Amino acid sequence: MALLELENVQTSYGAIRALKGISLTVEQGEIVTLIGSNGAGKSTTLKTISGLLRPSAGEIRLGGQRIDQLPPHRVTELGIGHVPEGRRIFPRLTVAENLEMGAYTLSEKNAVADGIERSFKLFPRLRERAKQLGGTLSGGEQQMLAMARTLMMKPKILMMDEPSMGLAPILVEQIFEIIAQLNQTGVTILLVEQNALKALDVAHRGYVIQTGEIALDGPAAALRADPSVRLAYLGEI
Amino acid sequence: MNAIKKGLKSALSWPAHRFAQLLTAERTALVTALLVTVLASAYQVAAPASGLAILCTLGAALALSYAGIKPWLRVVLMTFLLLGVLPYAGTLNPGVSSLMIQMFIYIALALGLNLVVGFAGLLDLGYIAFFAGGAYVYSIFASSQAAKFLPWFAANAPQGLGGWWFWAALPLALLVAAFMGIALGLPVMRMRGDYLAIVTLGFGEVIQVIARNLDTPINITGGAPGIAPIQAPTLFGMDMGQPTSLYYIGLVFVVLTAIAMYRIEHSRVGRALAAMREDDIAARAMGVPLVKMKLLAFATGASFSGGMGMLFAVKQHFINPDTFGFMESIGILAMIILGGLGSIRGVIVGAAAVTLLRFQFLPDLSALSANWGLPSAIDLTKYQPLIFGLILIVMMIYRQDGLIPATRRKENIAALEGPLPVPAGGTGTSVAK
Amino acid sequence: MEEGLRILPQILISGLVIGFLYAVVALGYTMVYGVLEFINFAHSEIFMFGAFIGFEVLMFLQKTSLLTTLPMVISLILTMLAAMIFSGALGWTVERLAYRPLRGAPRLVPLISAIGVSFFLQDAARIIWEALRGNWQLAVPPLYTGVLTMGPWQVAGAPLQLQVPYGAIVIMVSGLIMMFSLIWFVNKTKVGKAMRAVAQDRSTAALMGVNVDRIISTTFVIGGALGGAAGSLFAIRYTSITPYIGFILGVKAFTAAVFGGIGNLAGAVIGGLLLGIFEALGTAYLGPLTHGALKGPEYKDIFAFLILILVLVFKPAGLLGRTVGEKV
Repeated sequence: MALLELENVQTSYGAIRALKGISLTVEQGEIVTLIGSNGAGKSTTLKTISGLLRPSAGEIRLGGQRIDQLPPHRVTELGIGHVPEGRRIFPRLTVAENLEMGAYTLSEKNAVADGIERSFKLFPRLRERAKQLGGTLSGGEQQMLAMARTLMMKPKILMMDEPSMGLAPILVEQIFEIIAQLNQTGVTILLVEQNALKALDVAHRGYVIQTGEIALDGPAAALRADPSVRLAYLGEI
Repeated sequence: MNAIKKGLKSALSWPAHRFAQLLTAERTALVTALLVTVLASAYQVAAPASGLAILCTLGAALALSYAGIKPWLRVVLMTFLLLGVLPYAGTLNPGVSSLMIQMFIYIALALGLNLVVGFAGLLDLGYIAFFAGGAYVYSIFASSQAAKFLPWFAANAPQGLGGWWFWAALPLALLVAAFMGIALGLPVMRMRGDYLAIVTLGFGEVIQVIARNLDTPINITGGAPGIAPIQAPTLFGMDMGQPTSLYYIGLVFVVLTAIAMYRIEHSRVGRALAAMREDDIAARAMGVPLVKMKLLAFATGASFSGGMGMLFAVKQHFINPDTFGFMESIGILAMIILGGLGSIRGVIVGAAAVTLLRFQFLPDLSALSANWGLPSAIDLTKYQPLIFGLILIVMMIYRQDGLIPATRRKENIAALEGPLPVPAGGTGTSVAK
Repeated sequence: MEEGLRILPQILISGLVIGFLYAVVALGYTMVYGVLEFINFAHSEIFMFGAFIGFEVLMFLQKTSLLTTLPMVISLILTMLAAMIFSGALGWTVERLAYRPLRGAPRLVPLISAIGVSFFLQDAARIIWEALRGNWQLAVPPLYTGVLTMGPWQVAGAPLQLQVPYGAIVIMVSGLIMMFSLIWFVNKTKVGKAMRAVAQDRSTAALMGVNVDRIISTTFVIGGALGGAAGSLFAIRYTSITPYIGFILGVKAFTAAVFGGIGNLAGAVIGGLLLGIFEALGTAYLGPLTHGALKGPEYKDIFAFLILILVLVFKPAGLLGRTVGEKV
């Protein structure tokens, strides 16, 4: 049984159908990437999984349990961590408080302290910034904080929405290294990216989404080699 | 009975080919329209003091406005109801005219507030202040009040200027109210919607405080007791102060206001206001001068309020600061919310319904409950704030567009603006801020 | 002038007392505004209900003659506690019934609903107490009615004495306790942090596992409880209450919240205190300054309004606030 399954999921904004029946699976321990152009429905897919949007049809299952009618905080409690597009750091909470928010669902006594310590090990920059307000961080630091914050909740699956967006190339490299590194420690990852090349390099499998439908799917390497993908998303001929 | 005879007579004297045309058009609509008109008229004349009769007559007028009949026939039948049946019932029972004048005042006020709230999307909670402005401007000069601080009046017109001066004062009242609107509007137009609401609310309170206290050091407003008696207007030498004759002035005011509103809605200004209400940033990008447009709507709405204030002063023969409280502003807001923000027909219906409720049905029910020996704590006339509050809450939760929604809003917005499937998140749309 | 200066300390004290009430009520406005960006118009009526519940508790204590036998501070705590519980529950109910169904609607919609709630509650209180007590204007049983006299000191060759009613001291002390508790709660507890997170970014807070609806409810309960406490303190200090005490005080407390910077707790406190002091100064000195032409107390309610306009025109962000302009 796959860890996360989407079966014919449809989501609409008012009269506009953004997802026209998405089916995909993520297995335990995998990195799966969802690539596609602007407005194809990548973010909508993640928001629908995490409960920010409610699907009008279809099923979403986490470890076999239906989650598609749950409010977002319940989905989070069940183990889906969603790093939203544009990082969405709480601008007027300190870095440490932002991290604490990530551990909101955990009740163990040391969850916060341990989690913060782990985060600082993974992202040493954050340690220096611990007392600073989230809004004062640079884009790269905010991305690190956003990832660290979601990791605080020890999610069963980590969903990332465009983690490389708006970052300098050197930071992009770093972010993808960290993604690979996280995966090696056993974190399952669903990655949404416009930077298809990088995403396919790091992922095991991929899905190509086009105007709300899955157009192609397969092992990352196969997609990487597919001529239509290369033409449309990798800028190669 | 005369009115019916007159109506029938005029109906029979129409050219025959017209009749033929009518009958070939929409026969059921025609029959229904005529039947409704005749029945309502008969009931109204038979029981002039009954609130139910007035409700039927107004209901008939509303039905006519929907009926699929020739426009000229619609005008004729409505004219018959409004210029024939109701004034006639008023001669049988002056209460009818009095109620109708009150209703006309509220309809015009509601139409004016609708321009501000419904068309321009500015929540004005101090609308009654402009009404007070118009009422005071006229009352001060049409009573012995002016003589108390202006020597000229003391010497030449100790009882103030009444009569035809009413017509001269009308533009003045409109101007004063518009000026008040601009004076308040200039500093607040750039504020976001909810701040504007609370500032206008404060403005309403301030105007009331000033009216109550400007009897010292110079006695301008008459202080808490107010001003009385206020002289009646004349028209070509006729005394227009009686309810039966004021009825016509009120009706003319309402018709003019409604026409003005219709023209504004379908003008460039109206479209600019609609654009601004739906998305002010996009409207600004399209070259709509936001502040100017808002100010224009605000001041125009204010001036309507001022004009009706004059009529109110004439109807009441006296005014005092308590008449212009916050509850009046909310009452008018309840009218336009009930009828439908931005919908002219809806606003008229809402204003008529609330007026009937306040001044006819609640007092009727109170009298009834007093007859049954119920304690005065259940005096329904006192429950007006409760009822206004309920109207606002219930309409907002169950029917935001009102009983008769504006048609225009629906056209292109509803499709895109449907409820987003966001259970907890979402920051809300920026519409009508 | 000399005489004017001599009454200054006394004026400052009375301004400070009413300022504390404004501040506590302003906290309720500012909390809700911070979380929902919405003026909870009904908050003034929640304050008013607090006053009436406080009145009922005091009446009960008086009837059972506990008022004279219990230590005063116990009576005070009972009164405030009852008012806080009731008003907190009322705040919760109002949010649940009249605001939550409208979440995500255009801004004016919940605002109009809130105005409706305000009117409804005001009239409901009138109806209830008219039925209960035969009158809606009520005299509150005495608690802390004494006056603390300080001085006299010799100042500029004449004795100066200060009169501070115990009721005023009660307001200031409990006001301070409530303010600091709230600021501690919001900054240091898990729920408080979640509240701030919801205020800053509702959907991301939900992604962190925060039950946004519950946090919003909590905000209304706490804001309502503070309003209720302020209402009961008002009843104790000013000894006469009507269903209409909330309206103007609410507008002023909201002004205080805007003055200090809406959404900012410390700002609400500072705004409330300053507004109280300005108002007391204006009320006391308008008459003398205009040589008696204008009566200060009559124009009292205008000062807050003038401050509101001036703040909104010249410094819409308030003293401590960040800019909350239209989003572009």
